[in-house]
This record gives sequence, structure tokens and C-alpha cells, in this order.
Amino acid sequence: MAIRVNPMFIDVLDRYGAEDVQLCYQCGDCSTVCPHADEVYKFPRKSMRSLQMGLERKIETSLEPWLCYYCGQCSTQCPREADPGETMMSLRRWLISRYDFTGIAARFFKSKTTEILAVIITAIVTGIFLLYYGFSGGSINIYDGEGAFLPSTFIHKFDLSIGLVVAVFLVINAIRMWYLTMIKGTPFYVPWWLYAVEFYQLPWHFFTQKRYAECESQRKTTFFMPWFVHLGLMLGYVTMLVLVMVFIEQFQSGPAIKWSVHVFGYLASIGLIIGTIYFIRKRFQKNYVQYKKSHSTDWVFVVLLFLIVVTGIAQHIFHRTGLLQEANITYVVHLMFVVPWLLRMPFSKWAHLVYRPLAMYFAAIRKDALLRQEEAVQSSPVFIK
Amino acid sequence: MRTGVFFCQMDNSKNLNIDAIAKYSANLPDVETVQILGVKPHPDVKMLSGQIKSDNLERIVIAGDMPGYFKPVFTKAMALTGGNTDEIRLASFQEHGARGEYALDRAKAIVACATMGVPFPLVAVTGGNPVNHATLIIGGGIAGIQAALEIANAGKQVFLVEQTGTIGGHMAMFDKTFPTLDCAACILTPKMVDVGQHEMVRLLTKSKVVAVSGKPGSYRVKIRQNARFVDVKSCIACNLCAEVCPVKVESEFDSGISLRKAIYIPFPQAVPNAYLVDEKSCTYILSEGKKCGVCMKKCPKECINLSEKDHTIDIEVGNIILATGYELLDVSKIEQYGYGVFPNVLTSLEFERLTNASGTTGGKIVTKTKRFNKKTEKDEWIFSPEGMPPRSVALIHCVGSRSKKYNPYCSRVCCMYSLKFAHLIKEKIPNVNVYEFYIDMRAFGKGYEEFAERIKQEGTFVVRGHSAAVSMKDGQMSVRGEDIFNDRLVEFNVDMVVLAVGLIPAQGNEELSRMLGVDRDSDGWFSELDYNGSPTDTDKGGIYVAGMCQAPKDIPDTVAQASAVAAGVLSSLTSGRGIGNLSSISLSEIEERAKKIHAI
Repeated sequence: MAIRVNPMFIDVLDRYGAEDVQLCYQCGDCSTVCPHADEVYKFPRKSMRSLQMGLERKIETSLEPWLCYYCGQCSTQCPREADPGETMMSLRRWLISRYDFTGIAARFFKSKTTEILAVIITAIVTGIFLLYYGFSGGSINIYDGEGAFLPSTFIHKFDLSIGLVVAVFLVINAIRMWYLTMIKGTPFYVPWWLYAVEFYQLPWHFFTQKRYAECESQRKTTFFMPWFVHLGLMLGYVTMLVLVMVFIEQFQSGPAIKWSVHVFGYLASIGLIIGTIYFIRKRFQKNYVQYKKSHSTDWVFVVLLFLIVVTGIAQHIFHRTGLLQEANITYVVHLMFVVPWLLRMPFSKWAHLVYRPLAMYFAAIRKDALLRQEEAVQSSPVFIK
Repeated sequence: MRTGVFFCQMDNSKNLNIDAIAKYSANLPDVETVQILGVKPHPDVKMLSGQIKSDNLERIVIAGDMPGYFKPVFTKAMALTGGNTDEIRLASFQEHGARGEYALDRAKAIVACATMGVPFPLVAVTGGNPVNHATLIIGGGIAGIQAALEIANAGKQVFLVEQTGTIGGHMAMFDKTFPTLDCAACILTPKMVDVGQHEMVRLLTKSKVVAVSGKPGSYRVKIRQNARFVDVKSCIACNLCAEVCPVKVESEFDSGISLRKAIYIPFPQAVPNAYLVDEKSCTYILSEGKKCGVCMKKCPKECINLSEKDHTIDIEVGNIILATGYELLDVSKIEQYGYGVFPNVLTSLEFERLTNASGTTGGKIVTKTKRFNKKTEKDEWIFSPEGMPPRSVALIHCVGSRSKKYNPYCSRVCCMYSLKFAHLIKEKIPNVNVYEFYIDMRAFGKGYEEFAERIKQEGTFVVRGHSAAVSMKDGQMSVRGEDIFNDRLVEFNVDMVVLAVGLIPAQGNEELSRMLGVDRDSDGWFSELDYNGSPTDTDKGGIYVAGMCQAPKDIPDTVAQASAVAAGVLSSLTSGRGIGNLSSISLSEIEERAKKIHAI
């Protein structure tokens, strides 16, 4: 089979953050120290090699970048300082732009001005729309219910429609991912029932991020810190999204606090505020390998989320203390951050929320199928003669 | 001849002020145009040829640290305009040693010569100072020994200064040499004996150069000779003193894998063949004469004097040869290999001593055995001849070499000696598995590639892929690696790991370079004047480099370089031209000489 080579591929990846790939001289130290490399998925060295050779098609259909959680062992160990960890990260960014059928993701990754402009424009449009809606039907002095500025019934519909748009993009992209990796990228037979057997992988990896914890176990930090905070952050915003998408009508009503709903809200807020501050601080400090090179898109996500959390909490305090006018204004500002943040999801690194568990799922299926295919994977090396 | 000067740098070197050189070259005769193209430029052929045409240039000078890199573009441009492509001159700052204190003037001189079409080495001929016929060699390894013999055999006086108690250096520690598998001692010891007995060689062991003054051709050198505490002439090496000595310390010659006494002879074939006392561990010296002193009573020749003092010697020499050699990188700081943590992880030199027939196990390759030390009340791991031979051994190449964190350079000898180790292990232990983890096999010399092939045929598992992880589980070491050619991750259980540790310059080099005014490169090796043209000369007249202290090299190259140095020294003694510093020739002098040659 002919393999198409893109000699400019390495330059393309440069824009996504993989700057030092050419330095790699294939010693294999990175694959040796990687806690996740196994007999089927041997990375990062092989990915580095494919990148150096410009095997765009091969990387496009590979799952290896998703199996890496960027513990940074490889980059610390690398004798050439070729930064394999950052390369895997960049490959994930590139894969997201490949899965994305609109081409917006690629634009965002390549140009930070485009992304920031898009965020600002979306925020302004949202703000104008909400202000128009609020002033046309309601009073700024009423927070919820009849004649409210932004009544929860309206917000519910608004949230759901935004969520629907995001979901449509994500589902289409996920199908594209499945096609690329499991159809194009898997040249051997995959029995259909393997999809059912390995299905537990999806929720398991989504909610535990167990492999991230395995990464961290190499480093001996207290509580497996980045994994723990990452999990808290993820569970925080997932809880919040569920609350907002489903229970917004109980959530927004007041002034009494409905503990059955709000207890989740408070817990999630704690996770989010700790998480965002932790990650922003780490990205400033740069003392971990994985936070040394922050791509502009990483900043946009974490800063937006931080602003959302801060405005959300402020709005909650205003509402419960009876400062309804301030609460409504903060609410508009809050939504001005939420909407671009949500709409950005399918086009940014944040999409790994979906792709990563899917990749674990696909990887497990592919591995099972491959091992079935060639049952004899012997581990004795062959003489070089 | 209408000349254009183009500055193209490969490196953004900060010590050279390109603007100043450009300004200077603009004022040179015949120079029509001067252009600074910057660092790593991509000059356009059409643009260049357009410029050559518009300025009507007949000669082009490309100036920079590596101008040869840009020559093809200029040749093409010149050919396009129909000019003479022979008139493209290179002004290479690196080749002619424009660095250090005199970098700017030297660079200007190089450009000036190039614009006149005169080769720089033709102009920059040093000389003038009368030469003292004695030569000082610093370092008594194979390089120093070879150079000393060559010069002494020509009938000239040589002072050979060695820091330790015996000459021989690292080569004396080796078992076999690659690729011929000759015994290293069989090559070295006759030479050592020759040096020891030669009437023209004055051997100064346990000595150090402490001060150098004077000018090329007549250096005054102060040497401090540390007390040996044993009279070399009367000692008969009977070993009675060592038998009674109560102090045991790690042997430097055995790179720490065996113990020696405080009074000792490094190895039986040492030259001078006499015992010496280690003042850092001797009880008598440490207690200032209050305790011990049994060796003095035991000695049948009464040649031990433990109250001997250091003394200094002043000598005058014409030429100085640096042959200070190398050291091993401290591997315990590369944590992933577990050196110092796991008992059976060895450095290359330790293994070399282990497998040497004169070593502590008599040449048997064994793993360390645990023994209870009564004094410290701790278990310790030592080599003993009764130890178990390893069932499998991993040899890991490039430990600390070719790494941006430790040594950016290739240590050159590691691939070959690791292959040699593989052979020795296979030869001495039947049914042993040997795994070589390598990145690139650098078998570059005569017969080396064939040697590598032979080792592979002997059944060594050669794994193309470095290993970065040595781990221990239930007392069993294992080595993980990626076998790139066979596309699999491998993990082997091994009993012994030998690390091919990178080489670093010897410790005293920094002090010496300050004393002598000889430059060192960024890695700490002594800088030669021109790597291709004069690899043995340095910036300073009458000071030469030989062997490892210039850059890592194997024994054949070291011996060749040492002989080459001797040729340089002897020519300075017999030519009658004298020697001088390149830096002592002023810029105006070079210009004048160039003009003279140009006029011819």
C-alpha cells in the first residue's frame, strides 16, 4: 500500500506547539519511561518518528496521542530536549482540528487573535441579545418568575438550545473520529461484539481518569495533585452543566436556598474555584514540565472558566442578599462568558472531554482485536545480522 | 581587483563584533562593498548575481565562522555573471582561531588577508624567540608516554610530570584493546619501562605544575613534587610494608572495586616501580607521627620516611605538551540507572578492572556478594572470586553522552568498548545473555565495523534503542527499553548492568588553562588552533595538546596525535626559526606581510 507523505507536516505541527520534533534522534528513552506505553501502543517515540517522516495519514488515524496524559516523564528524560510530551499534546490539538469538520478548530489553534476575537464577538452578541430580551419583557428589579429580567424558563430554553448546538458538533466530530480511527485506521477485522464488551470503558474513564492517576503515581506528589484537581474541576463543571441544563428552574428560584439542588452547586463551585486557581497558578509558575509551554488556547479556557466561576458566585451572593438589580447585571455578564466558553468546546482542547474516553474505548477494542489477530506477540528480540 | 565582502554567520557568537569588522574591512584597499547578511542567512542567487554585476565585483570574500557553508551559493552567483569562481575567498574565523582575547584583531587580519587573496597561514607565521631544548609533558598517560619517547629518542630532554604515583594513566587499567583484542598492558608496559629507564626523560611522579611564566621558547615552570614518603631508588617493591599496614582504602587504580593499603603500589608493573604512601589515609601522617609507623620498622631497605616534605622544582623548558586526559562523568547524578543504589550497576572503568586478569577477582566476571563489615556493622557489597557469575548482562551505551543535560558530545569510545565487553563476557561465561542497548553504533575506525559485526554474530542481543530505566524487584534487576528495529518494548531480567559512561575533561584542566593561557571549548576540552589544519597546536606558541585532553579519542588516535606533537616540538627545536605567539603579531604587521606577499 502506498503511503502518502506530507513533508511540510512538521511545520504545520509547529503552529500547534510541537516545536522541537526535529531534534529527536530516536533513542527510545521516552517510550521506556512512559507509564502508558505497552506492546500495542508504543509511544511517544513512534509518534515522533511518524511526525518527522510526515506520515500525516498515519497520525490522523492513530489513537496514541489520546492515550498520553502528559505526565512529562518523557520530556524530563529526553536527552535531546525534543519535548515528546509537548509533541503528544500538540498532536492532540491537531487531531481535534482534524476531527472538527468545520475547520474552526484549526483556525483557533493557529491564530490566537482569531480565537480571542471570536470569543469577544460571541460574548458581545450574547450580551446584546440578553439585554434586549430583558428590557423588552421584564424588569431589572425582578430576578425570577413573572416579569423577571431573565426568567428561568427562558434561560432553560436558551441553555438547552446552546447545549444542542454544541452536542450536534460534538456528535458529528465523534463520528468522524470513529470513522478515522476505527475504519480507516484499523486495517484488520474488528468483531462488533467487542464494542459491547468494552463499553464500560467509556463511563469508567470519563469519571475516574484512572490513567491520569497512573501518570501521577510516577511523580510522588501529595494526593496525586494535578490528577486530583483535574478530576475535581471536571466533575465541578459537569455537575454545574447538569444543574444548569436540567434543574435551572429550581436553581434560579429564590430567595430561599433549595438544598437538594444547591448542595451540588456549592460542591461544584468549590471544585471549580480551586481547580481554576490551581491551574492558572501552575501555568504561571511553569515548574512542572507539562505547564512549561502553555498554548494560547489553554489560557483562554482556564481564564474564561475562572471568570465564569467568579461571576456565578457573585451573582448567587447578590441574588440571595436581595441586591436583585446587581444580580441581574452579573447574570448577563456571567452568561456573556458562559456562551462563548460553551460554544468554543468542540473547537478547542476542551473537546478531549469527549474524545479521550472515546479514545480509551476505541483503543481497548482495537487492542483486543489486534491481539486476537496475532496471538503470538513474543517478547524476545531478534538478532540484527 | 574589485572586492565584495559578505558576512554570513552560522552561530550568533557574542564575542565577535561583526559590525566593527565590517567597518574595518570597508576601509581596506579594493573593497567595493561590505554586507552583513546576518545569522544563518539564505542568500538568493539571483539577487547576489545582480549585485555582483551592478558593483562589477571581481573577487568575493565570504567572512564568518563557517563561511564554507555559503560558498556554493556565491559560486553559483559568480558563475551566473560570468566571473572567475576561483576568486571566491573564504575568511573563516573558526578555522584560523579568532577567539578569546585577540578575537577581534585576528578576525580583522583574516578578512584583510582574504581580500588580498593571501592565505592567512602563509602570513601568520610565528617565530622569533629562541627555543630551550627541554620539553615539559603534563600527564603520564599513553599520550604523554608516546610523546616523551618520541622526543627523548631524538636526543632531547623531556620532563614528564604525572599527578599520581605511576605513569600509565587509564590505559594501564584496561584489559583488552579494541578492535584487535590485544592485551593493553602488553602494548603499554614496554613503553612505560622505556620511559622509566630513558636517560633523556626525567620522570616526576606525584607532581603538579603550579606556576608557569615566561614566553614561548623559554617557559619557566614551577612544579610541586608531593612527598612520596618512599625512596624510589632504594625501594625494591618487596610488599612487606603493605602486609603490615593496618589501613584499607578503596583503590583508585581498581576504580574503587577493591581495597588497597595506605602504603601501596598502584599495580605490579608501575613505573617507577616503588611503593608510595597515601597521605590522606596513613595513620602515622594523620596523627602527625604519634601512632602507627609499623611500615618504617618493617622495611628491610629502610627507605620509608613518613616525615618527608613536599618540595618544589623550578625548570626551564621551550615547549609544553598538555596530555592531561579525561575522567568519567559522575553517573550517580543520572538517577534512572540506579548507579550507587543497586550493587551490580557498574561503570565502564569498574567493569574494565573486574574483567582484567590483574584485577581483584583475577579476571573472573562475577556479581557482587554481600558481606558483613564488622567495623561499620553494615552489610556491604564487594567483589570476590567466589561470587556468582551473572546469567545475563545489560550494556547501556550513551550514558550521559549525546545528551543536552550532561555531555552534548559523543564520547567516541563507548560503542567500541561496550562491544568489547560483550565479547569478553561471552568469552568468559558460557550461556550468558548479553544485551547491548545502543542509539547509534559508531564503529568508525579501521576494523571497527568488522568488529561490531563479529560481536553481533557471536550472539549478543543488540537492541537498537536506548534504555532509560533500570529497576529492581525482589532482588532481580530488570532493564526496560524499546527495541526499535523489532518494534517492541522489551524488559530483560539482568544480573549486571554496565554503563558506558560519558567522558569529561580532567579536573585540573581549568587551572592549567588559566596558568598557560590556553583556551578551552564550551565542554572544557583544550582548544586546538585549527581542528583540521593544526590539531596539535594551541593559540599559545610552544604549547601543544595531545590525547583525550583535546577531545575524546581512542588509543590509536591518541598515540598518533602524541607522535604528531613530538614532530611539532622537534621541528621547533631544529628549524632554528624559533617560536612565538600568534597573538604577538599585530594586525598592522599581518597587513604589511600580506601586502608584501600580495605584491609578489
